[in-house]
Amino acid sequence: MAEYRLDCLGEACPVPLIKTQKKMEQLKVGDTLIVEIDHSCAMKNVPEWARKVGYNVEIEEVDDGEWEIYIEKTK
Amino acid sequence: MNFTNSPLYKKIFKDAWSYWTGAILLAILNTAMLAISGKAWGITTTFAYWGAWISKLFGADVSGWDFFQIEANAKALSQSAFTNTGSVQNIGIILGALLATLLASQFKIKKLKSYKQVIAAALGGLLMGYGARIAFGCNIGAFFSGVASMSLHGWIYAVFIFLGAWIGSKLLVRYFMT
Amino acid sequence: MEDVKKPKRKKKNQVPAGIGLLIVLVVIGIVLAGISPMLSIYWIFGISFGFVLQKARFCFTAAMRDPVLTGSTSLTRAVIVALMLATMGFAAIQYSAVSKGLPIPGNIAPAGIFTAIGATMFGVGMVIAGGCASGTLMRVGEGFVQQWIALVFFIIGSMWGAHDYGWWSKVFFSKSPAVFLPNIFGWAPAFFGQLIVLAILFAVAEWYENKKLGSEEE
Repeated sequence: MAEYRLDCLGEACPVPLIKTQKKMEQLKVGDTLIVEIDHSCAMKNVPEWARKVGYNVEIEEVDDGEWEIYIEKTK
Repeated sequence: MNFTNSPLYKKIFKDAWSYWTGAILLAILNTAMLAISGKAWGITTTFAYWGAWISKLFGADVSGWDFFQIEANAKALSQSAFTNTGSVQNIGIILGALLATLLASQFKIKKLKSYKQVIAAALGGLLMGYGARIAFGCNIGAFFSGVASMSLHGWIYAVFIFLGAWIGSKLLVRYFMT
Repeated sequence: MEDVKKPKRKKKNQVPAGIGLLIVLVVIGIVLAGISPMLSIYWIFGISFGFVLQKARFCFTAAMRDPVLTGSTSLTRAVIVALMLATMGFAAIQYSAVSKGLPIPGNIAPAGIFTAIGATMFGVGMVIAGGCASGTLMRVGEGFVQQWIALVFFIIGSMWGAHDYGWWSKVFFSKSPAVFLPNIFGWAPAFFGQLIVLAILFAVAEWYENKKLGSEEE
């Protein structure tokens, strides 16, 4: 049940999503990845991808234009 | 402010809209633009005007170039950033996006993370600028408006923009990922 | 819609700044209308385009890039829908103009090898720069420093292209006609044919995404 962080602040699409996809492969089932982003499009496409694959996703707006996406590896 | 807690504010101004909503509204706007102004939506020709006006500020005369012999372009040279329709439209796009961001309380200066982003932005900008001139438009003018106008150039553009995006994706992953 | 949790930290409220900007935009619109009504119309269109692009996170670059990089085609399909709807609207305007004997409205430009070269260059550029023309402008407004740089070089590249325009024109453009598809195939086959092709592309995009993302985590 480990928790990992991925800093994608200042990065434009599609970099946050590619990094998230790569990182999720390394996680074990039950682990959570927190992706830090400030790219408004990534705030949409990262959760969209994660839900499509079937992971649990939560988004938190931590500051103006800054989000943390919690992705739990469920399978 | 209390209205920022209302569900209607949240739905319209805070949350992102669906891609479908965007698609429908952009199609309506582009059609309305063609109906009202007689021209479909385009962006990049104005960038050449911006370049020409900036050159003029530095004393460089580009009015002799073949590109500026075309009637519409020659006319644009005599105008300014606030009296040329395309320029006013592009400034509007920037400020419209800023408006949407502020009303959602999501504006933030996104700083650079690595020097690679500078190289990628510079190289990408040059390629797009040049490419749009010889392809008669960008994703908007040549692709969106071109295909919708049932023009052959729009369809050729569509095929090769995908090829370019594929090459660009490989380059991005190989050289420009931070 | 997206369920975003409330922040733990106290945030600044930017809405008053947004309302202030809106007032400024309206004032500029009135001033522009005084110079020429067409300017204020383009001003309103520009603001609307920017607003919609930002709210929907509508990105033409992602529509062409994501199928390759991430397997997602949700934006690709949205773009196809936009094309289908705009085709119907455009065709109505074009048909009525042509039947009155007026020139065909719309963006109909010369087509040739240069279209292919330019589009390929543009495709490479937009992916590495993180946005095409509309995406760059929208992200300039969002405060993206990388896109500010991209816009500067976009303008330089446009000037470079304008500088070389004469050569391209002499060698290629002047020999390449602009082709309006209904003039070749007839109105009905061109119009319905285009809609059918777009519908097929939509179905392919949907199938592709299911194949890519459905099997990814097995």
